[in-house]
Amino acid sequence: MTRPLALLLALCCGLLATTAAAHKASDAFLYLDNRGATATLRVDVALRDIALLTSLDSNRDGQVTGAELRSARSAIIAAVTDTVRIEDVRGSSCTLRGASWGLSRHSDGAYAAGRWHIQCPQGESPGRLTYNLLFDRDPLHRGLIQVIHQDGEQLAVLSPDQRHLALTGARPSAIGVFASFVQQGVIHLLLGLDHLLFLLVLILPATFRQRPAREGGLRARLSGLVWVVTAFTVAHSITLALAALDIVRLPVAWVELVIAFSIAVAAINTVWPFLGKKTWKLAFGFGLVHGFGFASVLAELTSGLSGKTLALAGFNLGVELGQLAVLLVTFPLLYLLAGHRLYRRAAVPMVVLGVCGMSVFWMLERAGAL
Amino acid sequence: MLWLMALATGLQAAPAPIANDFSDTEVLALLPAGFHDTPDTGNPDRLADRIQGHITRARTAGDPRHLGYAMALLEPWPDTAMTDRLRVLRATLNQSLHRFDQARADLDTVRSRSAGGQPYLQATLTLANMELVRGRYGAARDACNDLATRYPGLLAQHCLARVDARTGKAATAYQRLASALLQRPPEDPRLRAWVEGTLGDMAAQQGLVTAVTHWQTVLQLTPDDLYVRAQLADWQLAAGQPAAAVALTNGYDSVDPLAIRRVIALQAGGQPDAARSLTRRLRERFDEALWRGSDLHRRDYARFLLDIDNRPGDALNYAVANWRDQREAADTRLLLRAAQRAGDEESIRQVRQWLASVNQTDRRFDLPPSGAPLP
Repeated sequence: MTRPLALLLALCCGLLATTAAAHKASDAFLYLDNRGATATLRVDVALRDIALLTSLDSNRDGQVTGAELRSARSAIIAAVTDTVRIEDVRGSSCTLRGASWGLSRHSDGAYAAGRWHIQCPQGESPGRLTYNLLFDRDPLHRGLIQVIHQDGEQLAVLSPDQRHLALTGARPSAIGVFASFVQQGVIHLLLGLDHLLFLLVLILPATFRQRPAREGGLRARLSGLVWVVTAFTVAHSITLALAALDIVRLPVAWVELVIAFSIAVAAINTVWPFLGKKTWKLAFGFGLVHGFGFASVLAELTSGLSGKTLALAGFNLGVELGQLAVLLVTFPLLYLLAGHRLYRRAAVPMVVLGVCGMSVFWMLERAGAL
Repeated sequence: MLWLMALATGLQAAPAPIANDFSDTEVLALLPAGFHDTPDTGNPDRLADRIQGHITRARTAGDPRHLGYAMALLEPWPDTAMTDRLRVLRATLNQSLHRFDQARADLDTVRSRSAGGQPYLQATLTLANMELVRGRYGAARDACNDLATRYPGLLAQHCLARVDARTGKAATAYQRLASALLQRPPEDPRLRAWVEGTLGDMAAQQGLVTAVTHWQTVLQLTPDDLYVRAQLADWQLAAGQPAAAVALTNGYDSVDPLAIRRVIALQAGGQPDAARSLTRRLRERFDEALWRGSDLHRRDYARFLLDIDNRPGDALNYAVANWRDQREAADTRLLLRAAQRAGDEESIRQVRQWLASVNQTDRRFDLPPSGAPLP
């Protein structure tokens, strides 16, 4: 066995498996509190990391003692203030005035910690932070920063590719998160053609103008519509919640297939009511399946994150709002069109045929994915 | 992405207060060996030695900071002055950071430039290992066959046996590799340990208790093989020997995969207090890792969520993401277990379908019926 081969073995054996799971890469922790009259910044750096930049281990015995930490104080402060820069909103440099200093602790041991008051010219607010600590010694080093604002907090990660952080601008709060999930819900409903088509064929019967003598006029049509939409909404809200909160889990591919199937069934039912004329039952039954479909989208958006209930509530509200918007536009339009003599004879059958074709196409496509 | 970050903020507790009451004599931190060595980086061979030292320490101590140190040494080195050896080291680094395409590009360059010779051998072996771990058995077999043609011997036999075992020929691969090791025992203890570790894995794959003997041999030869230590601990846990797993993981609290197995063993062995305290430390580490957003801890975090936090749905999400990158037996088993606990038949079916398509069987994939005791 030659020496290079021996070295090679040291590299090959199980390297991927262990390093992919090792204890901890280098992180510094920054906490910027932007709430009071004077903003403050706290920076925690692992002793082991700051020892790379200063002569913290002054006797070079591989151990950092309390005395060594105390005597390295000014060097540590300089190492941090030289590499963490804050500018105000107009781009002028702010100064860091030391407030306290000492020892702190994170998951992998002891950290040197300092707290500074941020003083910007003319009392402006801090606008941007630039971070350059340690990247030249360890490109895998990261600055984990928490910014606390008046109306919430924000987490970010500073890396060699992302050394700046804007301290103003979008400040996601609980409300912001909720709002962004409402938006996602609306977008998903509007872009999710399968849910829209299902909704369309559900409301079609309610647009038919029949002789007032046999059934009520617009009022009866509207109440029928409300029943159908409510049933669909209640049903998909139930299953969306069950799936999003991990209480029930169904295979995504099957759910998608049944959704495609439900559209064809609902479409056929409008011209040939083999499942009865009370479409709210149909809306409820298949609504349960559509809820699982929404849940799979929501799961992708929230994968691995906490705070799911808030996201769920926002997403569901968004879906309902999108649905309502679609109804407010389509129903009056269809109701007007329904006055034309070709509506029931030609337009509706063509729509039904088109929707059926689409859903059969989806079924085939989705069955292939099983 | 900011709103996703905001969702994660719930994870962050307030930082520990800044203390000043430490004594002058208290040892606050230990620095790793060689911390004060000044790197001599002018010469590519000495630079490669340094980088290799860091990669080895990252592996044997489970300390990823050394990967960063290695990168820092490599980055200023001009691309035009890259030697084949430095390229293989860069590939190894990229591989361990899951940058597989970059790793493969360097390995391909080395293999196309130097047909034969040490760098070629090294690049081919690294490539075979990477493809095997990723579950790309065709590419792994090509690399192993190439080794067998140019460098027949135990290394090539070992390479092919690993691919064979994962593609339907576990029993013959095991027997052949075991007799090859008997006939020509290698001088280098590391090569012997590597082969013994593979034999242990192949034995476990077939449900043979000889796995334990192989793994114990590895740990005698190279006690710092964290990978084999974790495999043995899993075997002991599955065999209902939590006390043995507690002993085996003693002193490895700082290494996530071993600390997780230790918690499971402590819980099963009736030491809930010790389990709780280690769980608290692990949770703090994972909270920081989530903030950091690294995807390197997915396998461990999935295991933590599944067996310690009892959150099979979230565990499944991480196990699925991990399985996209790594398909060793442990990754597949973790995904199957998470899917079973989460009641996701579809994921199970997809994994089983892939296993059938590569003709892979493993006794560790035979899951106990739902509701059976863990793990």
